[in-house]
Amino acid sequence: MTTETEVKKRKISRIEDILNNDVWDVDYEPHIIVDYSKCRECEWKPCIRLCPAECYTMVGGEVLFSYEGCLECGTCRVICPEKAVKWEYPKSGRGIHFRFS
Amino acid sequence: MKHIEKRFDAIVVGAGPAGATAAYQLAKMGYKTLLLERGRTPGSKSMFGGRVYIRPLKDIYEDFEKKAPIHRWVKKERISLVYDESATTIEYTSNKTTSFTTYLTQLSHWMANQAVEQGAILLTEIRVDRLYKEDGRYRGVVVEDEVVKSDVVIDAEGINRLLLEREGIVEKLSPDHVALGVKEVIKLEPDTINNLFGLDNNEGLSWILMGDVTDGIPGGAFIYTNRDSVSLGIVVLLGEAARRIDRHIYILVEELRNHPLLYKYFKDGRIMEYSTHLIPEDPSRLMPKKLYYDGLMIVGDAAGLLLNQGYTYRGVDFAAYSGYIAAKAYEKAHGNGGASEENLKIYQKMLEESFVMKMLRKFSSVSRLMKKERLFSTYPQLINLLASKLMHIEYDSYKLKEAFDEARKGRVGLIHIIKDLWEVSRKL
Repeated sequence: MTTETEVKKRKISRIEDILNNDVWDVDYEPHIIVDYSKCRECEWKPCIRLCPAECYTMVGGEVLFSYEGCLECGTCRVICPEKAVKWEYPKSGRGIHFRFS
Repeated sequence: MKHIEKRFDAIVVGAGPAGATAAYQLAKMGYKTLLLERGRTPGSKSMFGGRVYIRPLKDIYEDFEKKAPIHRWVKKERISLVYDESATTIEYTSNKTTSFTTYLTQLSHWMANQAVEQGAILLTEIRVDRLYKEDGRYRGVVVEDEVVKSDVVIDAEGINRLLLEREGIVEKLSPDHVALGVKEVIKLEPDTINNLFGLDNNEGLSWILMGDVTDGIPGGAFIYTNRDSVSLGIVVLLGEAARRIDRHIYILVEELRNHPLLYKYFKDGRIMEYSTHLIPEDPSRLMPKKLYYDGLMIVGDAAGLLLNQGYTYRGVDFAAYSGYIAAKAYEKAHGNGGASEENLKIYQKMLEESFVMKMLRKFSSVSRLMKKERLFSTYPQLINLLASKLMHIEYDSYKLKEAFDEARKGRVGLIHIIKDLWEVSRKL
């Protein structure tokens, strides 16, 4: 039997590869706007770990948000402690298109 | 602002299980019904764990069990307490079944098609921007600066209640009132699924796992077998997750898929889809003060109508049934002269008298139970230590009492165990 560490090393996929199985019709305009000035004040940043699509990443010590892979769950909107997230659904027909969920 | 000429009896916002069912019932009773869905198809924004309880749906849709997109009938139920690389499992198997697995994307689509067959007009790729008010009464919706009018609006917008927030009917969601579900759907051949889980064709497994699967965050994991795939995911209380999680949430799902006990099931599968959704967790806090206004009724997740029974969720049947009742209530209001607030009060009354509100009241303290740390960490650990003492025999064997005392030593006192058992037996 393989040990857990070996399994981990070998099999945990990258989020990018997992998300590659999903289908979007990406809008030209973002449906979520993040006020980065508020992110700079935020020490907690729960979005980084909790956005299931990893739309929020840390780049050079700053939060970077990209809307393209958003799964529209609303987590960031609910957990952001600084109210930095202006959240809309994507425009008509755009965004994630679930098929097997 | 442009006004669209045609006037509907009812406009339903959102073609999930609640909205599609409301539209189906309204159209069936002969009302001019418009069902609006922001997704490309009805169901394309739908996501759930994987199991539906069928009984209430049979009241609503004729021949539901013959026509609906049912993947497998749940005939095997497993609940596992996981600790480290071990699990203690209760398994219940029976040929009697009251639930099935499916994709909610498919079921929502099917329900919306039923509505269309009854004469409802379904428009997809329509995002409603706000509810339309005339003289303080809800009388339609606004879509890209165009007003579409109706006698009544049924709000089935789902857990993210942008429209209701805009109206000041509900407050913004609090992380402590919702849970986050994240799942992977893994493609496997039907025969492989049957062999791996000991199932016949059309037989399904529901498997709930608690303990060492959520990094100690209150919640759990689930596995549901579909026809030719397996849904696998986690649910965590969002507020607790925000406070405690120390790595990315998707890692928890990936670690579940690669768990030493589960790896063998998924090693030949490939991920078909990755999806996520918020889940109403605390109906008493989430539910708007009332579910009816002049010209407006609120159904499904938007109304917080989802039951957490601790070891299972009932979302789809509750949502669909609330849509069904809203349609019936409109019929009554219509008969009494229109969809005034006074006339729509009957919706709340009918809902209160139905199993929907009765069950929500009955299980109202489960959400408090979910916040008890011991249930998610100490007890899974204790029961697996106990099992290992009893089962892993070398020279000396343990008596039950001996094994139990050793397993709980330094972890939890007897008094706590008795108190917790009592609390669980009362609240669950």
